[in-house]
Amino acid sequence: MATYHQAGHMQLPRADAIRSRLIDTFSLIEHLQGLSQAVPRHTIREILDPSHQKKLMLGDQHQLVRFSIKPRRVERITHGQRMMSSLRVRCSQRPPLSLWAGWVLECPLFTNFIIFLIFLNTIVLMVEIELLESSNTKLWPLKLTLEVAAWFILLIFILEILLMWLSSFFLFWKNAWNVFDFFVTILSLLPEVVVLVGVTGQSVWLQLLRICRVLRSLKLFARFRQIRVIILALVRALKSMTFLLMLLLIFFYIFAVAGVYFFEDYTRSTRQDLEYHMFFSDLLNSLVTVFILFTMDHWYALLQDTWKVPEVSRAFSSIYVILWLLLGSIIFRNIIVAMMVTNFQNIRNELNEEMTHLEVQHKADIFKRQIIQRRQNLSPEALRSSLSKTDARDASQPEESLVLEASQEKSQHSAAEEGSRASASKTKESLSKMKKSSSSSSSSSSSSSSSYSSSSYDSRYFDSLGQLDWETHVHQNLPGLMEMDQDERVVWPRDSLFRYFELLEKLQYNLEERKRLQEFAVQALMNFEDK
Amino acid sequence: MSRLFKIIMISTISMNAFSLVLWTDYKTRYKLFTLYEVSELIFVSIYSSEFCMKLYVDPINYWKDGYNLLDVIIIITVFIPYSLHKIKGKHYPYLHIADGIQSLRILKLITYSRGIRTLITAVGQTAYTVASVLILLFVLMYIFAILGFCLFGAPDRGDLNNWGNLAVAFFTLFSLATVDGWTDLQQQLDDRNFALSRTFTIIFILLASFVFLSMFVGVMIIHTEDSIKKFKRELMVERHVTLMEEKQVILKRQQEEVSRLMQTRKNVDYKSFSELVEIFKKTLRHTDPMVLDDFGTSLPFIDVYLSTLDNQDTTIYKLQELYYEIVHVLSLMLEDLPQKEQSQSSEKVDEK
Repeated sequence: MATYHQAGHMQLPRADAIRSRLIDTFSLIEHLQGLSQAVPRHTIREILDPSHQKKLMLGDQHQLVRFSIKPRRVERITHGQRMMSSLRVRCSQRPPLSLWAGWVLECPLFTNFIIFLIFLNTIVLMVEIELLESSNTKLWPLKLTLEVAAWFILLIFILEILLMWLSSFFLFWKNAWNVFDFFVTILSLLPEVVVLVGVTGQSVWLQLLRICRVLRSLKLFARFRQIRVIILALVRALKSMTFLLMLLLIFFYIFAVAGVYFFEDYTRSTRQDLEYHMFFSDLLNSLVTVFILFTMDHWYALLQDTWKVPEVSRAFSSIYVILWLLLGSIIFRNIIVAMMVTNFQNIRNELNEEMTHLEVQHKADIFKRQIIQRRQNLSPEALRSSLSKTDARDASQPEESLVLEASQEKSQHSAAEEGSRASASKTKESLSKMKKSSSSSSSSSSSSSSSYSSSSYDSRYFDSLGQLDWETHVHQNLPGLMEMDQDERVVWPRDSLFRYFELLEKLQYNLEERKRLQEFAVQALMNFEDK
Repeated sequence: MSRLFKIIMISTISMNAFSLVLWTDYKTRYKLFTLYEVSELIFVSIYSSEFCMKLYVDPINYWKDGYNLLDVIIIITVFIPYSLHKIKGKHYPYLHIADGIQSLRILKLITYSRGIRTLITAVGQTAYTVASVLILLFVLMYIFAILGFCLFGAPDRGDLNNWGNLAVAFFTLFSLATVDGWTDLQQQLDDRNFALSRTFTIIFILLASFVFLSMFVGVMIIHTEDSIKKFKRELMVERHVTLMEEKQVILKRQQEEVSRLMQTRKNVDYKSFSELVEIFKKTLRHTDPMVLDDFGTSLPFIDVYLSTLDNQDTTIYKLQELYYEIVHVLSLMLEDLPQKEQSQSSEKVDEK
């Protein structure tokens, strides 16, 4: 790649990156290969702007448009919003029923009514169960009202589910809470349906199913946000512990199977006074026994019982029990506790991520303001170099503040920036010229640059007294700044952008050269000292 | 390790585990005896062939991986019943123990499951702490065991059952530490009217169960957090490195394209990149807008960069001034030195 760089230049990865960015932005490869038609030249803004659009349409209509896709920090788009933007809804005369159903479901009056009904249901059930056995005839109207209330509540729940289905059938099943609601309602509906159909007998089953009405109060969990958060955190913690539980199951298996074999003599012995005789008889019993040992319940009694049989070797049985206790009950249980604690901490941190993100953005904002401040401090002192520079700075400074505050209004934004870009590019040209000349150390420009840097030196000196040095400050705030600017777009005029990239690349080479010159000077100084 | 091999091994091991469950029941073993023998033969042959294959591939590094050592141990345990049968005859009392150890075969599954392996590495780093806490617990129990033996295990009026010899004393103390059925043990000591027994038991329970076992939990929590954080950081770094490498590849490809383009046009008239794009530049118009939203062309970046460069300039200027001062001072010193020598020599002459 000798022809890639100018002759005699060293390889700088930063300069290479800038050049590749230039090639990428302008699609130079396609242009140089003669495929200029394949490069999109217009942006989406021009299409949406009616005046521009007319001009484009009058011209060549086969132009390519460049879309820029960026992840924006958007809140969740609700189903209602999505439906409102669909073409079918916008072209119809009446809004569809699902929109109304969605509105009703989200209306706070309705949700509070449902919560109230759930409470009422619980109370009604409690009273009903108390009164179930008493045959006091005076309480019969009360029983009737309770029964009617229970039916009414059930009907309302069914209506709510129907509304949810009306709103969007497929999304209903994706939400786990809705599926839970559905099953609870069906379970409480089942005994009534069965009675209606006429299946008699087996009243125990029906009683049980009736009791499932109680499960409806569990629907309460879905309504309150705090409970939801806790349950979600629990489920996530359990999910991350799947491998741990698998490992635990493997150990359960190992000890259960080994237990059956180890205690064969114990199972086969004919002594009558063994309390735990059947505990290791076959695999299922052995599994239960291993679980009993895991909870450390009566393990010593079990062990002493096995010692009663003389054929069982004491050493192996005690090794078995003690090893399992240490491994399973002490070590594993504490590993589970430790993992749950770490997971809860992680989950809490993630749920607070929103807050930390806002904090970082806030800091980045402050940092931006600081930068503007510094440029402002600089502008009155740099009057000596060139008037155009100060004019440009003063002109760019209110524009930049405009940019910061009115970042939402893009059209105004772009107009202001175009003006500032044009002046700023001129500024940069003069600045880079100065840097180039300073590296070649011609006298006139070096004097102006030294005066410029002395003025900035003064201001820097006073600035940097009370805080961190500039480099660490920048490095700390840079990532926040990088993330922050996702909503702002900068409109560049094309040739200035090209010039900007070119200048930036040359700047890297010049900086490198200056560094090398500095090193030569230091070397010369060292040699001078030796004399 | 190809996918097919992994699938074969995992299915073999699961089948083996399942068949082990079947053979625990004596009746099934009796009825399906031939199946038992044949399946054992098949499994043993599969395991030994896997061992030989892996050893053949990499003889020296095979022994460095922990999971391969686990495989070796399991192969040895598989062969133990045969060898015991041959050596000691049919009615060796410990034969069924050797049969019981066969259940360890399922541990071979761990090698093939990446999730469990990461879990074990994460947890395994806490093994050192776990071991030290256990040793501490053992030392504590040892002290109390000897104390208890002397106090309660005397042959005449002591409680020989529970404190008679050291091993039983250890068991009793472990039972106290895991607070299971300790009231019964305490009852036996009370029946014999020992004065200090209650204090002894209560102190030991406080120390072992409350302090030690809770400390166990605390220590594990801290270490698990650390190791998980380290693990996540390593994962991030790895991902970052691969991302950087991919970016480099893209960059290189672009550079190659441009140089190729220039090579083809070289004989025409362009000599360098800037001349190549001269013509392109002329087509760019000032009123053509380009909307960019990347960080490198945004205003804050430009401001920050220019401010940093200014800062750099001032630092270099300061450095230069310092250098000039050093040179100045050194030159002054140089001038002073010969004068001093002259004055010293003149003094000596005067003294003489």
